Amino acid sequence: MHANKPENFYQNVTEALAQPDLKMIIRRTTDKAETKRAEAIANFPEFEKARQQGQKVKDHTIKYMDHYLAEFEKNAAAQGTIVHWASTGEEASKIVLDICRQHEAKKVTRSKSMLGEEIGLSHALDNSGIERVETDLAEHIIQLAGDPPSHIVWPAMHRSREDVIKLFREFHKDPTYSEEITDLVRSARRDLRTKFLTSDIGISGSNFLLADSGSSCTVTNEGNAELTITPPKVHIVTAGIEKLVPSMAHAVPLLRLLTRSATGGEITQYITFHNGPKRPNDADGPEECHIVLVDNGRTKMLADGMEEMLRCIRCGACMNHCVVYKHIGGHAYGSVYPGPMGSVLTPHLDSLKVANKQTHACTLNGRCEEVCPVNIPLPKLLRALRAESWQKKYEPLTNRYVVKAYAQLAKRPRMFQFVSSCGVVFMKLFSRQGWIKSMPFTGGWTRNRDLIEPESKTFMQQYKASKKAKSSGGR
Amino acid sequence: MDNKRNNESRERIFNAIKAAAPTVSMDLDIIQKEAQDILAESEFARPKLLAEDAPEALVNRINAGLVIGTSCEIVASLEDLPHSVNQFLNKYSLPPELKVQNVPKLQSLNWESLSIDVDLQKDNTVGMCWAEYGVAETGSFVVHSSPEMPILLNFLPLYLIAVIPKSKILHYMDDYALIASEIANRGETPRNMCLISGVSGTTDIEGVLVQGAHGPEISHIIIVEDQ
Ligand code: SF4
Repeated sequence: MHANKPENFYQNVTEALAQPDLKMIIRRTTDKAETKRAEAIANFPEFEKARQQGQKVKDHTIKYMDHYLAEFEKNAAAQGTIVHWASTGEEASKIVLDICRQHEAKKVTRSKSMLGEEIGLSHALDNSGIERVETDLAEHIIQLAGDPPSHIVWPAMHRSREDVIKLFREFHKDPTYSEEITDLVRSARRDLRTKFLTSDIGISGSNFLLADSGSSCTVTNEGNAELTITPPKVHIVTAGIEKLVPSMAHAVPLLRLLTRSATGGEITQYITFHNGPKRPNDADGPEECHIVLVDNGRTKMLADGMEEMLRCIRCGACMNHCVVYKHIGGHAYGSVYPGPMGSVLTPHLDSLKVANKQTHACTLNGRCEEVCPVNIPLPKLLRALRAESWQKKYEPLTNRYVVKAYAQLAKRPRMFQFVSSCGVVFMKLFSRQGWIKSMPFTGGWTRNRDLIEPESKTFMQQYKASKKAKSSGGR
Repeated sequence: MDNKRNNESRERIFNAIKAAAPTVSMDLDIIQKEAQDILAESEFARPKLLAEDAPEALVNRINAGLVIGTSCEIVASLEDLPHSVNQFLNKYSLPPELKVQNVPKLQSLNWESLSIDVDLQKDNTVGMCWAEYGVAETGSFVVHSSPEMPILLNFLPLYLIAVIPKSKILHYMDDYALIASEIANRGETPRNMCLISGVSGTTDIEGVLVQGAHGPEISHIIIVEDQ
């Protein structure tokens, strides 16, 4: 599957909506995640307080980011970690590749990291001829399929069991011929086990960076991060600078929020703090440890007044609850980060010019903000990006004219009401049994779904009628 | 490492942060106080435990099925471990062999007919580790890497038995964070500190939970009274 581009958003959406099973496949996972999250929150009456605390941890760290970054650098170096700085994704990828080349690495294992995707590390490794082994099961599936990820927690959610059966039969050395999901997972277990143990370098992301100890923290349910990191001689961490928290005690409230919001579990099975290379005589562990701290647009978000977005702990709850995401899936966004959080992030990681359409796809229903464990006001941030996009004249001319015409109309109530009444009559002409299948000027909507028939009267007509009825009833 | 490039990037990032938030105080006391104040809220922002007593809360959590793939039992003393292990192996119809962590308190026990040194690189094995701590809030055990603790012991076997001294079971993750900070103050931070709460699982295929994705499929915690 080719990777979609953010600038082709409308075309990507058209293609996604034309896939007959996609919506069903996506909803199978997102609906379950939604239900399980609701249960987890119901069982955690202190959630609101935890959420406020989580927000405070992130806001505090962002406020003193330079202080905590310097602390982290000092303490990580004291543990024996080599700290690298990268302003851009390209630079970060190059640093990782250089380390791999220095160690003449032939094979690297990777545990899931959205930052790794963001900085284009997969492609960089593939292009360098180094064998890249994705060890998270979902990443393993999409690596075999040649797909980009479609969700930040379940990157392979767009792939059905039938797809996985085909892929494993084609690529696994000792594949299963069973169609049971348990057997498919076992097949991947067999295939990946020797790769874990023979890798030259393990590359991971980091869910949290602890400033007071220089530690990085990985959080997984599969345990693949530890298997990726421990056997090879070298461990490389790539992490965005916003992953900082002051200490392990400050990571704890975020850990409580992360799992409940992501999968509806109470805690992930494996939380590991990595503190540099192995100590003398340690039974296992890498001899060398590098960490690449990546900016890639994050300081720009600070400068642009988007610092609230730096609170994001990548739980995916906003996309699981997003009506747009549930219809079009992750690939349509054309970015590593889909859904509401992606629509705010991508304009900063790429540019607003190429990713402004995503900001308009939002219905502003506020569900994402409601479920975000660190209270990120996603609709507000999206509206700010829309305003910026308008100021910079990124919208197509037709849209600009329509909005301007609407603004003129909205300033003239009588004219507005007259045009609305005509609109209702016009729409009724195309309606059959309460639905409009097609109508001039609405192709964008009716191409993939029907339009509901409007009420017989406009809102103002109904409002006046009800007011009149009330006043005559009261007499 | 290209030091020149690295320093330039570092400077660029710090300058950009300073330019974006120029008014922020850099008074260390203020920063530390703010950070401490946030932690003071933890008491009101964490879940209730299933019992007041930490070991009881941990057992209740596991027995309620809230810790994936995990069972537990309490034994009176270390000498009871071989018997418990035998019962575990019988329950899952496993051969009389496992990898017992190389620590004297476990190695010195009377394992009788059990072989205690299997090759973990083979799949389908049983491992047994000595956990440093337990955490009631999450049903976790905590292991620290060391010369006697290969981290892979906890991730390669298909079955994992963890032994936790009862006195080392903590109420909350926050309590463990405090201990970790004390260890750091003594300059003894191990390379890895792993909080393990259940078994290796995945829901990546059609959202169906499968245990034993890469590591253990079944885990058993044995709490030892007399430690
Ligand atoms: S924006 Fe909020 S809900 Fe969305 S991924 Fe980030 S933390 Fe989770």
